[in-house]
Amino acid sequence: MRRQGLMAIPALLLSAGLVLLGLWLGAQGAWIYVKARLAQYLLQHAWSRTIHGEAHVTPWPWSDTWPVARMSVPNYGVNLIILAGASGRTLAFGPGLVSTSALPGQMGTMIMSAHRDTHFRFLEQLKPGDEILVEVPWQPPRTKFYRYHVTGIDVVDARRTRILSQRARSSLVLVTCYPFDAIVPGGPLRYVVSAEGKDAEELGGHSGKAFSLVGEP
Amino acid sequence: MWRPVVPSLRAVSSFQPGRTIALCLKTLLCLAAFSAWPCPTTSVSAQEQAGAPESREAFRIGEATHGTLLFRTGQQTSMIPAPLLKTDVQITVTGLVARATVQQHFTNPGNEWAEGIYVFPLPTHAAVDHLRMRIGPRTIEGVIKERAEAKQAYEKAKQRGQRASLLEQERPNIFTASVSNVGPGEAITVELEYQETLHYDQGQLRLRFPMVVGPRYIPGEPQAHGEPEKPVDGHGWAHDTDRVPDASRITPPVSLPRNGPINPVSLTIDLAPGFPLARLESAYHPIRIAAEPDGRTRIALEEASVPADRDFELMWQPAAGHTPTAALFTEQKDGESFAMIIVMPPEPSALHRHRVPREAIFVIDTSGSMHGASIEQAKAALGLALARLTPEDTFNIIQFNSVTKVLYPDPKPATPATVQQALRYVSNLTAQGGTEMLPALTRALDRPDPVDGTEKSPRLRQVIFLTDGAVGNEEELFSTIRRRLGDSRLFTIGIGSAPNSHFMQKAAEFGRGSFTYIGSTTEVQEKMDALFRKVEHPALTEIRVELTSQTQADMLPERVPDLYVGEPLVLAVKADKLQETILVTGRFGTMPWSSELSFGQAKPRDGLSVFWARRKIASLIDQHVNGAEPDLVRQAVIDVALKHHLVSRYTSLVAVDVTPVRPEDRTLQSHALPTNLPQGWDYTSVFGLPQTATSGRLQMLLGLIALLVGAGLAWMRAWVRMV
Repeated sequence: MRRQGLMAIPALLLSAGLVLLGLWLGAQGAWIYVKARLAQYLLQHAWSRTIHGEAHVTPWPWSDTWPVARMSVPNYGVNLIILAGASGRTLAFGPGLVSTSALPGQMGTMIMSAHRDTHFRFLEQLKPGDEILVEVPWQPPRTKFYRYHVTGIDVVDARRTRILSQRARSSLVLVTCYPFDAIVPGGPLRYVVSAEGKDAEELGGHSGKAFSLVGEP
Repeated sequence: MWRPVVPSLRAVSSFQPGRTIALCLKTLLCLAAFSAWPCPTTSVSAQEQAGAPESREAFRIGEATHGTLLFRTGQQTSMIPAPLLKTDVQITVTGLVARATVQQHFTNPGNEWAEGIYVFPLPTHAAVDHLRMRIGPRTIEGVIKERAEAKQAYEKAKQRGQRASLLEQERPNIFTASVSNVGPGEAITVELEYQETLHYDQGQLRLRFPMVVGPRYIPGEPQAHGEPEKPVDGHGWAHDTDRVPDASRITPPVSLPRNGPINPVSLTIDLAPGFPLARLESAYHPIRIAAEPDGRTRIALEEASVPADRDFELMWQPAAGHTPTAALFTEQKDGESFAMIIVMPPEPSALHRHRVPREAIFVIDTSGSMHGASIEQAKAALGLALARLTPEDTFNIIQFNSVTKVLYPDPKPATPATVQQALRYVSNLTAQGGTEMLPALTRALDRPDPVDGTEKSPRLRQVIFLTDGAVGNEEELFSTIRRRLGDSRLFTIGIGSAPNSHFMQKAAEFGRGSFTYIGSTTEVQEKMDALFRKVEHPALTEIRVELTSQTQADMLPERVPDLYVGEPLVLAVKADKLQETILVTGRFGTMPWSSELSFGQAKPRDGLSVFWARRKIASLIDQHVNGAEPDLVRQAVIDVALKHHLVSRYTSLVAVDVTPVRPEDRTLQSHALPTNLPQGWDYTSVFGLPQTATSGRLQMLLGLIALLVGAGLAWMRAWVRMV
C-alpha cells in the first residue's frame, strides 16, 4: 500500500499535466480554425476600401498582405476574400493569390491556394461545370466580375507536376493539399481544380511560366 | 498481447486499467498514423534525397494529363539517386587575361549505370577551348565538332555503353556538361578549360566566376514536344515556348532549399597582376591571401568549399602611379598576327565637367525572383540615384513584373517634391509576379514623337535598368534595344547574388551604355558612385582607330562603342602583319582627343588568338540580332570556332572512351543534376505553392489524446483507492 501512496503524487501531477497539455493543444488547434473564420470578417473592411480605389490596404497595421480579389462559388455559398501572396502567414487568414501567377483580370493563369482544412475545404465538393466568380476592383466603387467554370480536377504529386501558365486563355487554378482528411500536414499530394474563364476581358500582360507545386500541403 | 509503451505506467501495469489505457493510446496513435498514411510524417525531401521507394504507388496519383494546365516535370523523383557533383576551379591570371581549369567530379552513389546532365554558368566572355574526361588515371581529350555532330557522337557512345562526355553552350554564359555511363559507385571527372579577358573599369580589375544558373522567367506559349523544328528537349523545369525555344535546356531543376546546399565548389587563384597592388578584395566570399616571393599572389577560399549558389568576385586595384594607361600585346600563330590593345583615355578635363541636364528613366524589376535581398539592393540603389537628381533633370520610374507600371505618365522635373514622392513610391515597392521585361523596356526606350515645331529636348536621355536579368528571352530583348534605342543610352545594374551577366553586358552594349553589378547592400554606395561618374560626365565618342598599315586587318569591335569615365578601350586585332603604330581619335563633347601607340612596345603573350576568336564569334552572333542571314552567321561562327577549338552556340566539345564498359543487359538512367537556388532568393516567390494544410487537426487530436490519458490516470487513481 505504501508503494501505491508514493505513486499517487506523480500520477496526480502527470494526469493534471496531461489534462492541461490536452487543453492547450486543443485550444491551439481550434484557434487556427477560429482565426481562419474570424479573419475573413475582419478583411471585409479592407476589401471595401480596396474597391473604393485604395491600393495595398493592409487589414491590420502589422499585416504583410492585402486583399486583391473576392471569390464566390454560388452553388456552395462560398464567399472568400483573396489575399496577396501565399505565405504561411497569409494563408492563416484567407486564400492567397500566388505571387508569381497572373493577376486578376490579366490573361494567363491565376493560381490561388488555401488550407485544405479551412478555406478550401469546399474544393472537395466542386464538380466540373461549377461556376466560380472572381470579383476585382475596377472603377471605384464599381467592381468587375470574371466568371470561370470548373473544367478539371486532379490529384497530383507536387514533386512531379507543375502548373503551366498560358496567355491565350484566362484560367484559374485552385490548389490545396490532399487528402482532405489527413491528420498530419506535410504530404506531397495536391488537389488541383482547374477552371477556364469565359467572360474575362483581355487586358494585356501575360505569363508563360511554369509553377512548381512543391511546398507542404 | 499489448505491452504498455509509456514508462510511467509500468508501475500500474499489472492492473487492468493500465492495460486499457495503453491499448486506448496505442489505438489512437495507430488511427492517427493510419489516417495520415498518404501524407506521411517523414519529411518528403528526406525521402526524395535518399531515393526511398515510392510507398504511395497504391494510391493512384493522377497522371496530370487531362487538366491541360498541368504537366509533369523532368525532375527525377525515381528511386535511383542522381550522381553527386563537386567542382574544383583553378584560375591563373596574367595581367588582363585569366585562364581557368574547371573540374567537375561526377560520382554515382547508386547501383545503376548513370548519365549526369549538369547545366552551369561560366563567365560571359569565357572562351572554352578544352575538354578532358578523366577516369582514374586515364585522360581522354575532347575534340571540337559541329554541335549536331558532337551530340550524335555522344549519343552513339552512350548507347554502346562507352564512357563519354559532351560540353554544349546554351547561352554565352550557360553551358551543359553531359557524362554518360558512370558505373555504380564510380566517378568520372569532366575537366574544361577556358580563357577570359578581365573587366577593367574605374581603375579596378574584376574577375567574376558565376556558380549557379538562377531560375529564369520563360515568356511565351508552350510548344508541344516533338515538333519538327524544335531543338532537342532539355531536362529543365520549363517547357520550350515560341519565344524561348530552348527553355527546357536553360532551366535546371532546383533543389528544395530545405534539402540544404548541394554542389560544393573549391576555388584557387594564382594572380600575377603585373603591378603592385593597392587593394585586393573578394566581395562575397571570405578568402585567404598568400604572397609568393616571385610577386605572384595566391588566393583561396577561406572555406575548403562553398555551395554553388552565388557569383564569386575578386577585385584588385593597382597602387597609385601604377595604373596602366596603355598596353599592347601580340602573338604570332599559324602565320597570322594577333594583338590585344588597351588604351585608357584620360579623365575629361575640368572644362568638360559642367553638368548636362539629363532625362533619367529608372526601370526596376519587381518580379518574384527579386524578392528578398535583391529588391532591397535595388531600392537602395534607386534611392541614391533619385537623391542625385537636380531640378534641371527630369525623371520617371517604371516598375515591371507581370505588368508594367509607371510613376508618372511623362517624365517630370526632379523637384524636391517629386523626388520625395518618388522615394516614397520606391520604398513601397514589393517584388512578386512574372518578369515580362519586353513591355517595360519598350516603354522606357520609347519617347513620344516631338510635336512639330518643338525643339528636340537638349537633355541627355539615360535609361537605368535595375534587374537580375532572370529571363530566357535575351535575344528578343537585345533586338528591341537595338531597334528602339534612338538617342537614349541604356545602363544596366545587375542585382543580386547570381545576375544574368550575359544580359547585363549585352544589353548595355546594344544600349551604348555600361553595366555594373550590385551583389550586396554594403556595396550599393561604391557601385552607384562609379555609375554616377559615368552618367554625369561626358563620354568619349566618335572613337576611331587607324592602323597605319596597308595590310588587311580584322579589328574588333567593328564599331567602337562610346567610352564612359574610367572605361578603357579594348581591341582585338588579327592581321597578316602588324605595322609600326596605331592612332586612336575621339572627342569629349566638342573637344578632340587622340593617342598614338607604337607596336615597338608590344610584348609577346599567349592566348591572343583565342581572345580574338571569342570576340569574333560574339560579333558574328550580334549580326544575328541585327538581322543578318542566320545560315551565313552560323557558318561563319562554325569556321572560326572549329579553327580555334572553341565551344560556341554551333560547336561542342566531345570526348569518347572507345572501350564499352556497361554490360549490355544493364540500362542507363539519365539524371538532370539539381542546382541550388541563388543565395537570397525566395523559393516560394519564384516557384512555389505554399503550405496548404494547417496543423490544427493534428494539434486537436494530440490534445484529445493527452486529455484522455490524463483523465484516465485520474480515474485509475480513484479506482485504485477504492480497491
